[in-house]
Amino acid sequence: MDATTAPHRIPPEMPEYGETKHIFEMMQAILEQLLIYKPSDTIAFIIDHLHRDNDNVPKILILGPPASGKTTIAMWLCKHLNSNLLTVENLMAKDHSPLTDEARRHYQRSKKVPSRLLVRLIQDRLNDEDCIKRGWILDGIPETREQVLLIQTLGITPRHVVVLSAPDLVLIERNGGKRIDPQTGEIYHTTFDWPPEPEVQNRLMAPEGISELETARKLLDYHRNIVKIIPSYPKILKVISSDQPCVDVFYQALTYVQTNHRSNAPFTPRVLLCGPVGSGKSLQAALLAQKYGLINVCCGQLLKEAVADKTRFGQLIRPFFEQDRTVPDSIILKILTYRLNLEDCIQRGWVLHDYPRDLDQAQLLQSLSHKPNRVFFLNVPLDSVLERLTLRRTDPVTGERYHLLYKPPPTIEIQTRLLQNPKDSEEQVRLKLDLFYRNSVELEEYYPWAITINGDQDPYTVFEYIESGIINPLPNKGP
Amino acid sequence: MGTYTYTSQPRALPCQRRRYRDNLLQPDDEPMRFGNIMYDRRVIRGNTYALQTLPLAGQQDPLELQRLQQAKRRALARKRAREQFRPRTPEPVEGRKHVDVQTELYLEEIADRIIEVDMECQTDAFLDRPPTPLFIPAKTGKDVATEILEGELFDFDLEVRPMLEVLVGKTIEQALLEVMEEEELANLQASQNAYEELRSIELAEVQRLEEQERRHREEKERRKQQQWEVTHKHNETAQKIAAQAFAQRYLADLLPSVFGSLRDGGYFYDPIQRDIEMGFLPWLLNEVDKTVEHSMLGRTVLDMLIREVVERRLDMFEHKYPTPGNRSWQGSSGAMAGSVGPYEFQAPGTSPTQNSFLAKDYQSRPTPDRRSLERGLSQDGRGVEEGDPTGQSTDTGVKQTAELPDVWNSAQP
Repeated sequence: MDATTAPHRIPPEMPEYGETKHIFEMMQAILEQLLIYKPSDTIAFIIDHLHRDNDNVPKILILGPPASGKTTIAMWLCKHLNSNLLTVENLMAKDHSPLTDEARRHYQRSKKVPSRLLVRLIQDRLNDEDCIKRGWILDGIPETREQVLLIQTLGITPRHVVVLSAPDLVLIERNGGKRIDPQTGEIYHTTFDWPPEPEVQNRLMAPEGISELETARKLLDYHRNIVKIIPSYPKILKVISSDQPCVDVFYQALTYVQTNHRSNAPFTPRVLLCGPVGSGKSLQAALLAQKYGLINVCCGQLLKEAVADKTRFGQLIRPFFEQDRTVPDSIILKILTYRLNLEDCIQRGWVLHDYPRDLDQAQLLQSLSHKPNRVFFLNVPLDSVLERLTLRRTDPVTGERYHLLYKPPPTIEIQTRLLQNPKDSEEQVRLKLDLFYRNSVELEEYYPWAITINGDQDPYTVFEYIESGIINPLPNKGP
Repeated sequence: MGTYTYTSQPRALPCQRRRYRDNLLQPDDEPMRFGNIMYDRRVIRGNTYALQTLPLAGQQDPLELQRLQQAKRRALARKRAREQFRPRTPEPVEGRKHVDVQTELYLEEIADRIIEVDMECQTDAFLDRPPTPLFIPAKTGKDVATEILEGELFDFDLEVRPMLEVLVGKTIEQALLEVMEEEELANLQASQNAYEELRSIELAEVQRLEEQERRHREEKERRKQQQWEVTHKHNETAQKIAAQAFAQRYLADLLPSVFGSLRDGGYFYDPIQRDIEMGFLPWLLNEVDKTVEHSMLGRTVLDMLIREVVERRLDMFEHKYPTPGNRSWQGSSGAMAGSVGPYEFQAPGTSPTQNSFLAKDYQSRPTPDRRSLERGLSQDGRGVEEGDPTGQSTDTGVKQTAELPDVWNSAQP
């Protein structure tokens, strides 16, 4: 057995590096590009690709029936994400090349550009510097399955496809009110989106082709084509109902566009659960540990175990426990480091709860080589917390734990002899809550990529939210 | 502010005139400055009662005076200073007294009486100045002589002996001392040399030890460095191997995922399926299009035929039975009845299986007929024209199916 096959202890910095830098996605993108372009000089091509660094650049298709607001959404997304908008008019308006001239001729003659020409125009445009650097948003292209197939054959794959949908009647009515500002090209609506400035109002004009009949014809075309386009982008498509106000549609589109798709990168979850007392952190941690095989690390429990086992650390901590004082951060950190450095934690991942109670502890945690890669804040209102905690009772005889509301004791006899843990009294709970809320603002600022979940619901619902938060990649918060 | 006065000690004013012929060098006590009184600046000529103390011509005089005075003062001061620093004889010791003694070559009698001598002389013409005779002062006093005979004074040899002994002894002692000193010095030097040798030996020993120590230390350092490098390399290699193992594990799923994503993106497609989709199906749809158009065309043609025949029959009927009121419905029924005859052979065609019959019929008809019908059918013209580019370009083939309902709708009377 030589050195390469001996078992290695892989330092935990490596998987963390892989995750934070998205190595897997990067290698996947490089390999895809290699397969598509098959360059003769591989290394130079890879170096070029890495220099360009445009894996996270927006590549969006926006499709939808006429009058669904595609162009509006596309323009807003463009401004927000600082990207380039490509429409049929845009592509033809480029300066002189034989392709654009031919395209213009076709357009003038029959109001549409042949698919092959259009796809070649798109390919040329997409090879421009600004599209490579800042990404692209295609508005209303491709229109037919043929265009889709041609685009796919060239290897142009968008990362998100947004399809707007609305009932036909709504669209027909909406199209009647469409107005265009000839100077800026912005689209306004007589009812929904009237511009505030009077000079803009005065120069608005109605575009051609917005009569009901025309809209109906276009809708027919659209429905015929969209049915065949939707299956071509199976996993990256999202249908958004455009029967809502513009702003809502825009925000839904924006959130979707900013999410990353799940990749096959190996991922060991290192989850941090934060929340006030009684928000259900231990329960969720236990559920997660059970389902995904993560190690449940509860800080308070660790300390108690150390004291009970009479280890070296336990001896250090015991005087603090006896005097009922808080254990200093350095000792807690040492115990935590020791626990997280064990093989099983590194390999299987962990769920940590009850640890950073304030900013210093959070900073100490971040300085370790075990940084959490998902942080959840469970929000529960004060009344719910009180309800959950103050009604807890224990049966002194059997040791069973009951809750007067959620898990009431079966017989009156048991109920009479139930006792309440003095730590569950209302004043204690309020004290602890106050302590938490004082520190929570700083903690939330310290982890800007944390996910906030409403903890006031059924535990399994909360568990599902947490699961989806762990499994889906973290969204990138825009440019 | 009064008159000008000038006083000085009487002294001979030296003149510039040479006294002797070849007296080229002036004597020392003949300063050059003074000369003819007539030409002396200090002698005032003319009236003196209107003179200022500072005459114009002699502006420098008072200054010169001052200078002279200052020089005099300085000389005095100098002389005084010199007097001070001149070594004088020390004061006499207790019980003694200094006595002045003349030490010159010739003793001089010092007496209160001033010696006066009368002298007279006469000038001889142009004598060469004789050399100054040596000043030999006259002898004064009386010479007294004493004679010392042999043996009257002390015996030199005897007297000299102790002194000689002492002298010689002292000298020898001195010499002895010196020699002893020399010897001592030599001894000292020898012992110092010995000591120096010892010292140098020790120093050499020390240096050797130091050198050895240094070499040991360097050796140790080098070994430590080597060891450190080895461990470092070992660590690095272990890290690299760990990184490689990790990378392999991490990217184990890379290829399947890449291919999966490319397939989802539609880059990998089944060529046959693509060919069918892009090539065959449009063609098929086109053909279906054409067929359906043909059938529609046929139907329209049939409609036109029926209409024409019915109209003709109506005309014929009206010719025969011109009744005013019944024209409309009778005409149509009569035309219908009248047109049954030539229409009969087409009766099976008017059955519900109209389509297939018409299709077959239409296709079996010769083409010139179709073209004439085409020209005549203005309503269908649009449909057929659009049918032709339908057959040629595959792009808009599917679109044209939307036109057919319109053609059908508009063709219906």
